[in-house]
Amino acid sequence: MKPLLIRGGRVVDPSQGIDAVRDLLVRDGIIAALDEHQAVDGADVFDATGTIVTPGFIDMHVHLREPGQTHKESIASGSAAAVAGGFTAVACMPNTEPALDSPALIAEVLRLAHEAGLARIYPVGAITRGRQGKELAPYWRLRDAGAVAFSDDGATIASARVLRQAALYARDVPGVFISHCEDDDLKALGVMNEGVHSMQLGLAGSPGLAEDIVVARDLLIAGETGKPFHIAHLSTAMSIELMKFARAQGFAVTCEVTPHHLLLGDDRFERFRADAKVNPPLRAELDAAALRAAVRDGAIDAFATDHAPHTREEKAQLLSEAPAGFSGLEVALGAYARALPDLPLARFVELLSCNPARILGVPGGSLRAGSPADITIFADREWTCDPSRFRSLGKNTPFAGVTFPRKALATIVGGRIVMQGVG
Amino acid sequence: MPERSLLDLDDLSSDDIIYILDRATRFHVAPPERNLLRDICVVNLFFEASTRTFTSFAIAEQRVGADIVALPPGSSSLGKGETIADTAITLAAMGVRVIVTRHPESGFPYRLAESFDGHVINAGDGRHAHPTQALLDLLTLATEFGRVAGLKVALVGDILHSRVARSNVIGLRRLGAEVILVGPQTLLPDAMARAGVRIERDLDAILPEVDALMLLRIQRERIASAVLPSLDDYARNYRLDAPRLAKLQPHAIVMHPGPYNRGIELTEEVFASSGWRYVQQVSHGVYVRMAVLDFLVNGRSA
Repeated sequence: MKPLLIRGGRVVDPSQGIDAVRDLLVRDGIIAALDEHQAVDGADVFDATGTIVTPGFIDMHVHLREPGQTHKESIASGSAAAVAGGFTAVACMPNTEPALDSPALIAEVLRLAHEAGLARIYPVGAITRGRQGKELAPYWRLRDAGAVAFSDDGATIASARVLRQAALYARDVPGVFISHCEDDDLKALGVMNEGVHSMQLGLAGSPGLAEDIVVARDLLIAGETGKPFHIAHLSTAMSIELMKFARAQGFAVTCEVTPHHLLLGDDRFERFRADAKVNPPLRAELDAAALRAAVRDGAIDAFATDHAPHTREEKAQLLSEAPAGFSGLEVALGAYARALPDLPLARFVELLSCNPARILGVPGGSLRAGSPADITIFADREWTCDPSRFRSLGKNTPFAGVTFPRKALATIVGGRIVMQGVG
Repeated sequence: MPERSLLDLDDLSSDDIIYILDRATRFHVAPPERNLLRDICVVNLFFEASTRTFTSFAIAEQRVGADIVALPPGSSSLGKGETIADTAITLAAMGVRVIVTRHPESGFPYRLAESFDGHVINAGDGRHAHPTQALLDLLTLATEFGRVAGLKVALVGDILHSRVARSNVIGLRRLGAEVILVGPQTLLPDAMARAGVRIERDLDAILPEVDALMLLRIQRERIASAVLPSLDDYARNYRLDAPRLAKLQPHAIVMHPGPYNRGIELTEEVFASSGWRYVQQVSHGVYVRMAVLDFLVNGRSA
């Protein structure tokens, strides 16, 4: 492979405290040098003038639906969506069919990811067998096969005893526990947030308490067992306060927030369509505002999309029947910027790259010489979301027609340009 | 461009509501020729058991001369892979112009209307809306008092699960009535408060000030789902009985959308009281539904 010289971009790399115009040299898939002006004979030159060059974005929470639900998404289509959105790596959740609870399934995901050859794919193994919340998954063997973290995402483990045992057994296994926090009993048949809007529409609501109570429990289990926990897709103001409490106790806990919980409220169901149905549900505007403030003040560790593609037919069903979730990879960068226009770029890159790499314990998050050449190049450029152009098979998003202020221009994985100038 | 539908009362301006009530009153006084909906095919698509509303619509449709097809619950291919849009397109292609629908899920008529080239009338969707019930309640009030504006109307009981209550709140406010919602927290959460709607927990305290009471049906499942401790406990605070009847103003009326539970939300004394208007409500239902069909299909005639 010829060397690649990324010339003249504004390099933002919080891992080295750099925010300056630099030339970035990539050789053999590795960052070779980051200097003011470089000239390298025989190198391919990427003119990055006027753009922002950062360590590759890592989305630590996506659903790639393979094996078992390739009508919704495949590892190939999901990888294409990832790199189109500027992501060099994604961690895929184990709620596939069957669930990723055996080494053979982890190996199969990695084989398919290699075949797709675009983004790096980090499989997340299940915490319990079949994600049934009862028996423990084989953490050491899942880890050996390549699982980077563990989660029953989409299903909250109802038994505190089972989760505590799991955390104790897995304490010394590298790989954080990722918690999806919703108390199924409190949530009941809720299709949206419980609040003034659900009351007016006569729709069954799931209260914020359904999340808070499980966040509190899981943070306490993290503290008691010593197993690092990462709380997925926080959606309430109280969850943030609980995170702050747990951190103050010195617990090894981190958390993420999605673009939709930052930007959207629970006022989107007037026509009873399921486009905005998601778990946990979109909350009140006060919660969204609290999440944005928490990103600014450092209480949130990572941005993650919870990319959850479904078919048009599935999402066209009645609210009670339609599955929760929507595609997120190809809108994320724009949506984060829209939600937090004043967020310093260095913090933006920490949330999208450095912190996810650190939490998952995977390479990336830095442009330091010797690091893998996973690079995202983007610009503050307006564009309008048109889901029909998604690479993802899931064309559903509550952001259709929304204008975003930031756009991915190129994605480089291991020194190879895997996406450039997508429309 | 989809045709005009009646999905909830916020689809109607206060002028429209007054027009419909006025037409219904005229139909009551002098039945129209059975030709207002001549050659118009109406399908009654009910996914939930209903005697009162189903029969009331069927009679109203006959009296305006529509061609009627009733699809009994379970006969629709919905749920067998056909989407809501497929059903709407299929019925429209057969020449159906009006669908009257009842469904256990809030919002179903909205989803049907977005694909149906014709008029949809919501005959009750989940806990959400029941606009023709609210119209017949408004007609009952208007007939009784000669106006709705300025009346003080209390809705009592299971507001949270009541589509009748939701539509009535919209209609009553639109016509200028003062609305009081009364019930325990689990049946009437604080989050139901909105501009122009008072929430009260103490029925006895408000009885002397209201012009009309609308009682709502209490369902026994609320005990199994831990929403109510017992019917007795509910009755202690909210059942309309003789002592509570005595606290009402002499001119006050008592309404109920039916079916009512004797001994639960009301006692036998209510039926014998001078203010009980259930029979008038049911009777008004037919005329209001005739007026709605005429209004949607033919628009406002002079």
